[in-house]
Amino acid sequence: MPVPPSSAAQPAQLWPPQNGVTVDVETLRGLAERMLVTRVLDTEAVRWQRQGILPAFPPAIGQEAAQVGSAMALDRARDMAFITYRDHGVVVGLDSDLTDYMGSHLALWNGGFADPNKVRHSPLQAVVGATALHAMGWAYAQKLDGTGGAAIAYFGDGASSQGDVHEAMNFAAVSKSPVVFFVQNNGWSLSTPLDLQVAGGSVAARASGYSMPSMRIDGDDVGEVYAATQIALEHAREHGPVVIEAFTYRRGPHATSDDPSRYRSLEEERALGPDPIDVARQLVADEAWWAEAEQRAEQAVDAVRVQMQSPRTIDGNDMFDYVFQEKTPQLVKQQEQWREETDLD
Amino acid sequence: MTEQLSTQKAINTALREILADDAKSLVFGEDVGKLGGVFRVTDGLQTEFGAHRVIDTPLAESGILGMAAGLAMAGHRPIPEVQFDGFAYPAMNQIISQIARTNYRSRGATPMQMVLRIPSYGGIRAPELHGESIEATLAHVPGLKVVSPSNPHQAYHLLRRAHEMPDPVMFMEPKSRYWNRGDVDFENPGDLEGSLVAREGEDLTIIAWGAMVARSLEVAELAAEDDVSIEVVDARWLKPLDEDGLVASVAKTGRAVIVHEAPRTAGLGAEIGQLLTERLWGKLEAPVERVTGYDVPTPAGDLEDEYIPSIDRILFGVQRSLEY
Amino acid sequence: MAERSFPLPDLGEGLIEATILEWLVEPGQWVERNTPLVEVETTKSAVELPSPIAGTVKTTHGEDGDTINVGDTLITFEVADEEAGIVGTVPQEKKKERRVRLSKK
Repeated sequence: MPVPPSSAAQPAQLWPPQNGVTVDVETLRGLAERMLVTRVLDTEAVRWQRQGILPAFPPAIGQEAAQVGSAMALDRARDMAFITYRDHGVVVGLDSDLTDYMGSHLALWNGGFADPNKVRHSPLQAVVGATALHAMGWAYAQKLDGTGGAAIAYFGDGASSQGDVHEAMNFAAVSKSPVVFFVQNNGWSLSTPLDLQVAGGSVAARASGYSMPSMRIDGDDVGEVYAATQIALEHAREHGPVVIEAFTYRRGPHATSDDPSRYRSLEEERALGPDPIDVARQLVADEAWWAEAEQRAEQAVDAVRVQMQSPRTIDGNDMFDYVFQEKTPQLVKQQEQWREETDLD
Repeated sequence: MTEQLSTQKAINTALREILADDAKSLVFGEDVGKLGGVFRVTDGLQTEFGAHRVIDTPLAESGILGMAAGLAMAGHRPIPEVQFDGFAYPAMNQIISQIARTNYRSRGATPMQMVLRIPSYGGIRAPELHGESIEATLAHVPGLKVVSPSNPHQAYHLLRRAHEMPDPVMFMEPKSRYWNRGDVDFENPGDLEGSLVAREGEDLTIIAWGAMVARSLEVAELAAEDDVSIEVVDARWLKPLDEDGLVASVAKTGRAVIVHEAPRTAGLGAEIGQLLTERLWGKLEAPVERVTGYDVPTPAGDLEDEYIPSIDRILFGVQRSLEY
Repeated sequence: MAERSFPLPDLGEGLIEATILEWLVEPGQWVERNTPLVEVETTKSAVELPSPIAGTVKTTHGEDGDTINVGDTLITFEVADEEAGIVGTVPQEKKKERRVRLSKK
């Protein structure tokens, strides 16, 4: 059979935009303020782990611009973010309650306490890549229901190796579902560097194989991330999926139990470009405002610390009550036995 | 030669020896190379044996197990790792649909000689899907063998034994016991087949595996204070189950309590209970008791103590059996 | 005045101990919350432990090079009476305090 002509249409060129990027001062301040909260939360949470308050924590230091910038581009009335375990900048960017969120890291309740439909982000997720498919399915539902909503799927260079991500990209492109695949390429998947993880070094390069547009952006420039995500979302609503690859760097350990000195050198860490927080500071260009914003961030995170330490009422009953909407008879019996055997005092 | 090692170090030692002795063996998985694994179980192996035999793979569990299948088809003897029990789930397609039945499909021509190492069970306050007990899921699959060591000596020798076996072995390491030390007698493995009596007793048999063996031994110690003599059997091999060994102990004591972290329904406790009923009908002094995890997802850290069988809950199970 | 103790937390996924590399504070010293107290090394990494509270260091437990079990007291602070107790939520093995007694029929 003769080779058919290639039917793959050339994907749209979305980036850089012809007229450049401008983000107004008010928006920049909103972005910077939330980046500061994220940075303070990360810095503090690592200490909380060392102080025995949290059993473990995966800091997102260095990824604030990528996370906050993209999350704030979402329309909270109709969009939804699908996050993994290192996306608290997204949680902050969506103004989702941090104490609810930290419930997961406090080991009170896997997934935390937020209602995804209200806060517009999924519970955090340990199995990276899986959420790309959820985002695709959710986005397809928006298309069916005509809501105009779009999904944004967050994952990293590591997760891009999972089959789920490729399946999601293909499904989304075939069905023209409104989903933005937002890759935070932070150079490291735990101890595995980009060159052992992503052949060719770019996840965005894969988009063309699925006939969808891709954007490679500076993930440490919050203005750029915000503008690019807006463009991607608008394209997704009208035409279907887009890949954004935000280049950034995981400046901290994979998690509090990790020791990066086993696999990367201080020289490498020092050779990085500017800290995204400093980039934002220059964009805002108002030192007085900045100093106040830093203080507000400290206070906001300290309030989280205090709230976290006044324990929630959570007990073993919850363990049984949320397994099903309709509990099985066996589970009812097990719950009764649990009560009998643990209420001894 | 006997040495005091942690379970983590005992497994590391076994892997080092396997890699040195068997040129066809390979160790691979996420972060097992340069980092040495998140529990440092593979520490130093990449430096010693090279990045072509101790491989940091991309983050793709189905890929890791599928690659293992291909290597085994080519006559290599892979020892892949999934970083945590819950990350075996994304690999289940390769484990169940491929690895478990490739020998069958090829009428024995392409055996799947491999050991899949799975840091397993709860007890370390880890996040979701880092504390799963999947032994029943694995044991249910025709074509897989399942083993779970309970201490450093067993871990060292059972891993070496598993590597020699011609079939795929799921090696479930109790991660809450990684750092506990114990004597490893390198020259004298003891019998590595079937179960093992970890403590002798007369009145009742507790059957356990993995981290629950140590806890059951504590229970036996407490029970002795009340003049109750408990025999603790470390099941070790969960597939194939050591039917004769388990039956022999319970035939002696007349009573059995099975302890596992996994959820109760369709857990291995049910399988073992049925075995004991079949073989000891009329000789049991009481119905076989189970003390298990509940039919709930492994809960977050603070609820772990409610979920994992506690000493008290095991004692309750013992008492139910005694007073039947 | 009362005492408040800070037990060694599990610093990484099920570790059972850590070795003291160097004390960074001494008894009698006032520390703020987050002041580095001590550098310890585990099987997985070396880390600095920041103070969980503001207060006066009363006792440091263990010398450089000593190995401390997770859950054992690492440092004791002197605090106002109403602040007595333990800081942190260290996962501790449930006390072996036994509540279920056995009896044969």
